[in-house]
Amino acid sequence: MDRLDKLSIAVIAGLTLISMSMLVNREITTRRQDNPGVGAKAEKDSYTLQMEVDKKIFQEVASYKEQGLYPEAMAKLTVIMKEHPEKSLSYVYLAQLYLKQGKLRDAIHGYRLAVEMEPDYVDERTPLFIGDEIKKLVTEGREKFSREKALKPKDKEVRKALKDVYYLQSRLAGGCE
Amino acid sequence: MKLTRLVDLSIVTGALLGFGGILLVYLGNPANSGICVSCFIENIAGALQLHDNIRMSYIRPELIGFVLGSTLMALKTGRFRVRGGSAPVIRFFMGFFLIVGCAIFIGCPIKMFLRLSAGDLTAVAATVGLVFGVWVGVKYIKGGFALPRDKELRKANGFVIPLFVFLLFIFLLLNPSFIKAGQKGPAAWHAPLAISLLIGLAIGAFAQRSGLCITGGVRNLFLVRERTLLNGVITAVLVALIFSILLGQFKFGMNAQPASHLSHGWTFLAMALVGFVSVLIDGCPFRQLVKAGEGDTDAGITTLGMLLGGGLVYVWILGSTSAGPTFQGKIAVLIGMIFAVVVAMAFRRRKVKAQR
Repeated sequence: MDRLDKLSIAVIAGLTLISMSMLVNREITTRRQDNPGVGAKAEKDSYTLQMEVDKKIFQEVASYKEQGLYPEAMAKLTVIMKEHPEKSLSYVYLAQLYLKQGKLRDAIHGYRLAVEMEPDYVDERTPLFIGDEIKKLVTEGREKFSREKALKPKDKEVRKALKDVYYLQSRLAGGCE
Repeated sequence: MKLTRLVDLSIVTGALLGFGGILLVYLGNPANSGICVSCFIENIAGALQLHDNIRMSYIRPELIGFVLGSTLMALKTGRFRVRGGSAPVIRFFMGFFLIVGCAIFIGCPIKMFLRLSAGDLTAVAATVGLVFGVWVGVKYIKGGFALPRDKELRKANGFVIPLFVFLLFIFLLLNPSFIKAGQKGPAAWHAPLAISLLIGLAIGAFAQRSGLCITGGVRNLFLVRERTLLNGVITAVLVALIFSILLGQFKFGMNAQPASHLSHGWTFLAMALVGFVSVLIDGCPFRQLVKAGEGDTDAGITTLGMLLGGGLVYVWILGSTSAGPTFQGKIAVLIGMIFAVVVAMAFRRRKVKAQR
């Protein structure tokens, strides 16, 4: 090892030390300035904000639903879906309205569309979680449509409904997705 | 004597893989994903902001363990042999397509057997596909395929990937602002850091000694009727099956399995691609990580290709969901197949017929 090697090693060690110190220093400063859970808080705030906005948008739909005025709720929901196609909550309401009207197959499909758009609906770590509601429905749906499939094995609609059930069950089961 | 020791090591590594995969799920990793090289690479790509799906962004300590465990074991036993220069660009893209194939199935070959041993019957098509892909690869090897020989390189080359991985470990500990860690979705599901790292280190170290490779086991059987590595793979499946049943993770069936879909044809083709590519570049995604740790810079390049793949499968929406594969994903698998076949053909040394 000659002088240049020694110098190089010293420079590498020095630069590493400086970089590490800068990184550590920055982290300490950032943590002092912000609350430790700043990321989590920001995420929580974003959910709160989203839920408040949604509450305003879907106010009428929710009200009609509570009063049992399902055709009116559906009509309002159709308007909202045109104005806000990005709102996954539309499909949750759609599913709930179908369910209230006894249309299990359509309700399950609505939940599928909602979960495809917003996976947080089946993520129990988020405030949007409605997994229990969906789970109950798909359990009922699986039994019903499995029976129907046994009676009408070639019925495309029944097979489609079962696919929706399996999709939702798979999402509820978790996994790396 | 030596052969007996090697058999034992393969079996020990297999047992560790099987047990580790199930235990990590029990301790908090996503269902059926106790160990999944492709999922974890996608997680790391997300943490490095190579994609923006926060649900899949987390530096997985298991992968850090695989690489560093291999490095430490190789250094300790004097097997840290730095080599490279064997078609690196091709290996880079092969690494990319490995992850594409895995993303269509939703899992690497290790997760494939973990899913299988958890009763997930959708992994059957994947297993058949992987074996078929390996069989095709062996046909090419028998037909004269070989990538150029690697060369001995200066030692410093071999430390680049282990150091990069060590840097990831530092990022994991310090959690700087440019590293993303999802608080929801699969990213939020993880076993305690220390346990994940220890299991990863142990598996990496034993895999370095035994050379365990999921596709390698099948390849050796087809190529030379040799079963040492395959015994390790079978051990992994059996151990995972036993612990899966014991820990209540076993759920037999085709439908409603975690992170799975019913497009069996595409699952077959995607894993056939993984098997084929793995044979061409001498190792499954897991083996590439272990080799990158022991000084193989070609495997290091493949690992970087896998990392790029981990990012782009999300940016280009190539990966499957429970709804099935996407159109882009299907096209990517087909392009991957074409690429692999072209490479296999281009690097064949054909026998010249003797002139009369």
